[in-house]
This record gives sequence, C-alpha cells and structure tokens, in this order.
Amino acid sequence: MSNELFVQVLQRLSRVPGVRGAMIVDIVAGVPVVAEVAEGVQPAPVAALAASLFQRTARAAEGVAFGKLDTVQLEADAGHVVVADAGETAVVAVAERGAQLGLIRLEVHRAAEALR
Amino acid sequence: MNFPAVADLQRWSAEVARDPASPAFVPLARAFRRQGRREAALRLCLRGLEHNPAHIEAHLLLALLYLDSGDRQRACDEWGMVLHLEPESFEAHRGMGFYYLERGELPRAREHLERAGTVRPGEPAVREALNYVRERTAGPDGPTPAPGRGGPPARRSDGAAAGPAPAAVAAAPSPPVSQSRSPAAAPSAVASPEPPPVQVSRDPQRLFEGLLADPPFIGAMIIDRQGLVLAGTTRAGSGIEALGAVLAAAIDEAERTARHLQLGNWRSILLEAAEAVVHMSPLTEDLALLMAVRREAPTGWVLRSAARAQGLARAFLGDEA
Repeated sequence: MSNELFVQVLQRLSRVPGVRGAMIVDIVAGVPVVAEVAEGVQPAPVAALAASLFQRTARAAEGVAFGKLDTVQLEADAGHVVVADAGETAVVAVAERGAQLGLIRLEVHRAAEALR
Repeated sequence: MNFPAVADLQRWSAEVARDPASPAFVPLARAFRRQGRREAALRLCLRGLEHNPAHIEAHLLLALLYLDSGDRQRACDEWGMVLHLEPESFEAHRGMGFYYLERGELPRAREHLERAGTVRPGEPAVREALNYVRERTAGPDGPTPAPGRGGPPARRSDGAAAGPAPAAVAAAPSPPVSQSRSPAAAPSAVASPEPPPVQVSRDPQRLFEGLLADPPFIGAMIIDRQGLVLAGTTRAGSGIEALGAVLAAAIDEAERTARHLQLGNWRSILLEAAEAVVHMSPLTEDLALLMAVRREAPTGWVLRSAARAQGLARAFLGDEA
C-alpha cells in the first residue's frame, strides 16, 4: 500500500472532531508508520504503548479462545485511546473526553479495514 | 496488503495491451491504485468495463476509486450496479451502508449494513456501524433489544427512510461508551428502566451469579494487580479464570499509556475479540473488575452489565472491609 493511502486514511480519521492524534502503528515493532497528531502528542511513545497493550491483550484473548482481538479501547479521566487491528499494523486514535466516540470507533474500524 | 510481483504487472499490462477485453485490467488497475496511480487505475477500469460491463470486481474497484477521490455519489452508483448483478454482494452492501450512514439516512444505512452483516457476520467495521445505527434508529424497527430479552430487530422491507429525516451522523448524540460518567452510572444503549437491585452474595464464588441469567454474560471476577482472583462467578467451561493473570499486566500498560498522554487515571479497558468482549475497570487502587460477555452483546448492554457487576463488587468489598 502506498504511503499516500496511509496518509489519506489517517487524514480522514484525524478530521473527526475531538481526535487529538491518529496513527498507523507497526504492531510488532511498536513504531509509528504514519502519524497525524496534535501538538503535545508524541507518536513514538504512544505507538510503543499502544502496540504493547494490544499485543498483550491479544495474547490473552486468544489464550482463552475468545478469538482474534480486533479492538482495544482505553478510557481515562481526560480521554480515550482506541486501537484496532489492521493486519500487520494497527490504527490508533487518541481522543478527548467529550469526543463522539461512536464516530471515532467507526472511522478507526474503517481505516483498519482499508489497510487490511 | 501485498504488492503484486513485477512479473505479474508486466503480464497483465501485456494482456490488456494485446486484448482490451481481457479481464486482466482488474488486477492491473488494482495494482495501480495501490501504487497511488489513481487516475491511471480509473482510466483502465472505465475502459475495461466498456468490454466487460458485468464484471463485478471491476465495478467494486471503480467504486473504491471514486471513493478515493471523494465522489461518493458515483461510488454509490457503482455499488448499486453491483447489487443489480449480485444482490448479496458484501462489498456493495457495506459501501451503500456507509454511504447512507454518512448522509444521515439511518434506516437505509441499517438495511444495507444488516445485509452486509448477514453475508459476513464477523466484519468489525460493519458490526461497529450496525451498533451505531441500531442505537439511533427509532421508528418501526426500534432500537436493538438487550440480548436474551428479545429477537434481533426486524429489517424494513421497503428500504425507505421512515419518519422525519434523521440527523446527520456528525450531529448524532454520542454513544454510551463516550460518556464521562462514573461506572455506577454507565448508560445503556437500550432505553429501559434500571435493573432491579440484586442481592449481594457473601460467597465469593457466587457474587455475580445473578448476572448469569443473561445469556451473553460469560463471567466476572475481582482481581488484584498480580492477577489473583478474589471473587468471581464464571459460566462453567468458559476458562476465563486464566484471563486475570494476563490482563492484570495490561492494566499497567493502560496506566502508562494514560499517564504518558496526560489523560489522568484509567477508567476502563474494553477488549473486543471475535467471540467475546472483555471489560475491565478499577475498583480500588489495587483491585479491578474483569467481566467477559459474548461478542453479540451491544456495547450499551456491556456497559450496563459492567455497572451492575461494579455495584456488586463494591458492595462485596464494602462488606469485606
């Protein structure tokens, strides 16, 4: 897949109101492939943490026969992090507390689907 | 996504050059799209379809190319063409479903998404979109009932939007998972009264027994930071007891992520796998609640059940203290 398509997918996701950062992450290496983030969001550590969280929970889900993990969603006091499986990569969105999470989840899944 | 080999590209190019009616135009156009050569892919597709007007893959690819360039109407026309040729095309129903979703035509979006979901039940994007639409679709179909309390929503037969024009997606209210409420007040996607109070068992193994009455419920456990189970009730044979040990470590990851992003304390972690959804939430600094339900449960129902389990766990821990 061309870099242009990666960027296109991310731009669409990052346009959703309340999204502070969107990135495509190499899930094995834990590094960002492409990122569009607001000031103050550092892609590299977020990618590493998101990939680690996803890998750990994916192993847990498969370990108890829950099947392949497709989404991890972290809710915190001031925002959300959504990570969706996209094959060898994952789509990560960081959103503010008041963001329309349903819409963000929808776009994250669409982005992941486009990358598979 | 894999790139085709150079030899394949050369072979397809040669075939199309030799015979403009060759179906090789489809993989070649797809390869051009992946390379970012959208105009070339579009021209190739249009020319190929002149010779192969009933080529479904070509119409689907053309729809994607139009979508790439932001021309949703033309993309929709292509999906419509595909549905004419193949009424149960997953890709076309999915495309139409998202098209109507973006336009805020929720009943029509729902109709197409449900048909796509019937063809391929496991597709996360379709499932997510369906949850989104069902939670907002009023009228004859009504919202999705809670699992175990009714059948799936009926599909409209006419495909037309009912009642007043629905609000655009972007203006639709946030779904339950986006609300910033305490776990005890977690909302439900289903407009129903609060559940009756459940008696709290003092037996750690029967603490969540009342929740077993709901078929999607698999189990719930109170775990500590080492993953040891303090109390828990699980459906026989589910084997989820092993989850605690692995997921307790995930809490550390979640805390680190939230701290790094300056998001404050973690409130919940939701894992969605092919067969089940796992919800984790903090009870105290050292304890967390872990609940697993079957995947078909709507998100709102999951949060509602998590809130009930939270209430039981807190009451149990209060009694223990």
